[in-house]
Amino acid sequence: MTGDDVSQASLFVEARGLSKAYPGVQAAQGVDFAVSRGEIVGLVGPNGAGKSTLIKMLAGAVIPDEGTISVSGAPVVIDRPSIATGLGLAFVHQERSDVPNLSVAENVQLGLGFPKRQGRIDRGALKRNAVAVLDRLGARMDPEALASSLSVVDQRLLTIARGIAADAQMIVLDEPSASLTADEIEMLHDVLRRLAAQGTAVVYVSHRLDEITALTDRVVVMRGGRVTGAFPTAGASTTKLIEHITGVPEAARVGVTRASLETQRQAMASADSTKLLDVRGLSRAGIVEDASFSLAAGEVLGLAGMVGAGRSELMRLIYGADRATGGEILVDGEAVTIKSPRDALRAGIVLLPEDRRRHGLILEQSIRQNMTLPAIRRFRRVPGLPVPSLARERRAAVEQMSDLAVRAPSPETVVGTLSGGNQQKVVLAKWLIHGARVFIFDEPTLGVDVSGKRELYARMEKLAAQGHGVIFVSSEFEELVETCSRVLVMREGRLTGEVLAPDISVAGLVSRCYADRAAA
Amino acid sequence: MSEVANVSATDVPSVGPMGAPDGPSSARPGSRELIQSVSLRYGVVIALVLMIVAFCVARPDSFATVSNLQAILAQAAPAMILAVGLTTVLVMQDFDLSFGATTNLAMGLVIAMIVKSGVPWVPALLVGLAAGVAVGLANGFLIARLGAASFIITLAMSTVVVGVEFAVTDQQNIIAELPAAFTSIGQNAPILGLSNVFWIAVIVCAIGWFALDKTESGRFMYAIGGNSEAARLAGVPILRLRLIGFAAVGFTAAIAGVLLASQSGSYAPGVGSAYLLPTYAAVFLGSAAFRPGQFTIPGAIVGVLFLQVINTGLSMLNLDTFVINLVQGAILIAAVLLSRLGQRTA
Repeated sequence: MTGDDVSQASLFVEARGLSKAYPGVQAAQGVDFAVSRGEIVGLVGPNGAGKSTLIKMLAGAVIPDEGTISVSGAPVVIDRPSIATGLGLAFVHQERSDVPNLSVAENVQLGLGFPKRQGRIDRGALKRNAVAVLDRLGARMDPEALASSLSVVDQRLLTIARGIAADAQMIVLDEPSASLTADEIEMLHDVLRRLAAQGTAVVYVSHRLDEITALTDRVVVMRGGRVTGAFPTAGASTTKLIEHITGVPEAARVGVTRASLETQRQAMASADSTKLLDVRGLSRAGIVEDASFSLAAGEVLGLAGMVGAGRSELMRLIYGADRATGGEILVDGEAVTIKSPRDALRAGIVLLPEDRRRHGLILEQSIRQNMTLPAIRRFRRVPGLPVPSLARERRAAVEQMSDLAVRAPSPETVVGTLSGGNQQKVVLAKWLIHGARVFIFDEPTLGVDVSGKRELYARMEKLAAQGHGVIFVSSEFEELVETCSRVLVMREGRLTGEVLAPDISVAGLVSRCYADRAAA
Repeated sequence: MSEVANVSATDVPSVGPMGAPDGPSSARPGSRELIQSVSLRYGVVIALVLMIVAFCVARPDSFATVSNLQAILAQAAPAMILAVGLTTVLVMQDFDLSFGATTNLAMGLVIAMIVKSGVPWVPALLVGLAAGVAVGLANGFLIARLGAASFIITLAMSTVVVGVEFAVTDQQNIIAELPAAFTSIGQNAPILGLSNVFWIAVIVCAIGWFALDKTESGRFMYAIGGNSEAARLAGVPILRLRLIGFAAVGFTAAIAGVLLASQSGSYAPGVGSAYLLPTYAAVFLGSAAFRPGQFTIPGAIVGVLFLQVINTGLSMLNLDTFVINLVQGAILIAAVLLSRLGQRTA
């Protein structure tokens, strides 16, 4: 289904039957993927569809279990990134990859070695080479400007320029439009069209279907580690794309109408007494815009969205990890000022962060030390003296460990040595010991095995049953369907939809995460 | 945490993510592992004991005497006091390069006020201590509150502090008759023939050890050093604790300065600054002991004693100064390598 409409002569990269399994996950299964010279291919699919795995296999960052890759008709083995570069494949990631304190010209030729004259860097040649590359892109950039002074779009263009300078025949862009304005996206697209016209192959990964339809020649859709569709962009409507992405015909989709949504909102508003958390117009310039929702005691509220939709960012605002630039937060109907995590803790809000190793744990310390850290005052040996009792701490830690089935030899075991699931339990135990009204779980099951996931869902439900409020952020929509009575959808920094049980379905959530402005 | 401090922090033994702190669970049976873990935890202590034995054998008449022991402890006292403050900031992965200058400032202030301005010694002493705390708070404010790099700021601050010191003292040695009550603080040795300075150092160390090892604030400080972002998200008051850390450095520097003033009964420019590098060396050396890779007060004390014993011992062997320097440097390098090794295998 890949090469059918692609003439063999211009075929550049062709992958056949690529598979990659991780423990418990088949990330890619028999993926066929081909790109011709001068072609712009859009790659779409929900989180976990296998797009990143495919790209990493092309980039030499992940080695496929099965399958073959050929470049210009010759079979190749890409087992290190340098091989991909040598084959003329260049990759543009969301994170900046330039050296901020070098000039644009220096960055362009960073990987190639600088032109030299009599042992010294030939500044003139350096600049001329860079200008030649930038001209090919049609990018207007001062070659002598420092990379750190560039706008986000120019940073992306600079990365592309580095690829072109290294003689790249194919550019792969992973979500390049994140945090770009409409004008900047247009600028980026112009550059890509220009490169394609010069014969460069382009692979463009994006969650924004309007971009895919505007830019690409062909679309490849992935879902659940497989390619589920590949067709020319011309004539493919957004509806058709969504159908392929969700695997469910548009007509059969269960959805909630605007009107019924309003009714639900009003019902919620009238039942004011049950509102545990009320977020009104919460914003952080450029990241989260005007987010309003409420959470009832006893509720597990899901928050769905694509990577980069601003879900974690919104949760961090509520928790005070980042400062909001607007809006207000009410707990039990009382306005609270949250400028820091300490304020949030005082207001009864806790966060289990997405990146638990960096944000949730002190890896070199023990289970006990991690669990008792925020509530250390409760373990005083003598009331009034800030001296914790190790014995009492240890008792609490042991109790939590048996309660949550943390598998570790002792409460003094160093947290860094535990598995992902057990580390997550330590983070949870920390907040259970501290106590809270609102528990925010941000991607709690990331890197957690199946039984660990089950335990976490059960724990969330138990917290809700005890009268707490739970917010469950997840990119695995199956678990939201299973656990939540209500799911909010976030897209491009805004809360764009709300689905209530029993109408919550994976396909419905995915399509809501994609639906462009016109469809909404 | 500042970028610069982070960068430099990668070179030190304290901060590796794998640096295992306490944990009986890590001590597995198996005699080789046991020997390895004991030699890691107590390597520096064992080396110190061996060194003392060697010097005692080599110089039984001069080194192996009670008066020499008293002298070593008295000479180690100022560095012990300074090490407590330094350990407090290093635990949080901050650096302070200004305490040598602060020690000098306190020394100069006290002496100049008594001698030049005729201020009674008690208020002079209190002003000296307050000046140290003020320098520490200024460092802490600039670093913790405004987010400046601790390495650079404290280096710059030390220049400022030296400027203030010279303004107060005209950069002249001050030698004059001082109140006996003041000089007796540093010169009397009432208990076990050990000087007051040593006993004050013991008290400062005990307080520092208790605060870092036993109190909630100490727990928080180690948490900040382990992962400051996770600590912040757990509600740890990072700003306040880092501020307290720098204030502790300033305060201990001032205590050392005041005691040196009292001990010598005079002021000379640069006396305190000489303590900067040896104190760092001692504290890093000590981070290889007890809890490899972690800064602790007991470790710091062992580090200070280690360096003092080398110093005294080598000078008693009547070696040339250049040999003393070479040996001292080599031992330090070996000790730091040992602690790196400990960090990797721990």
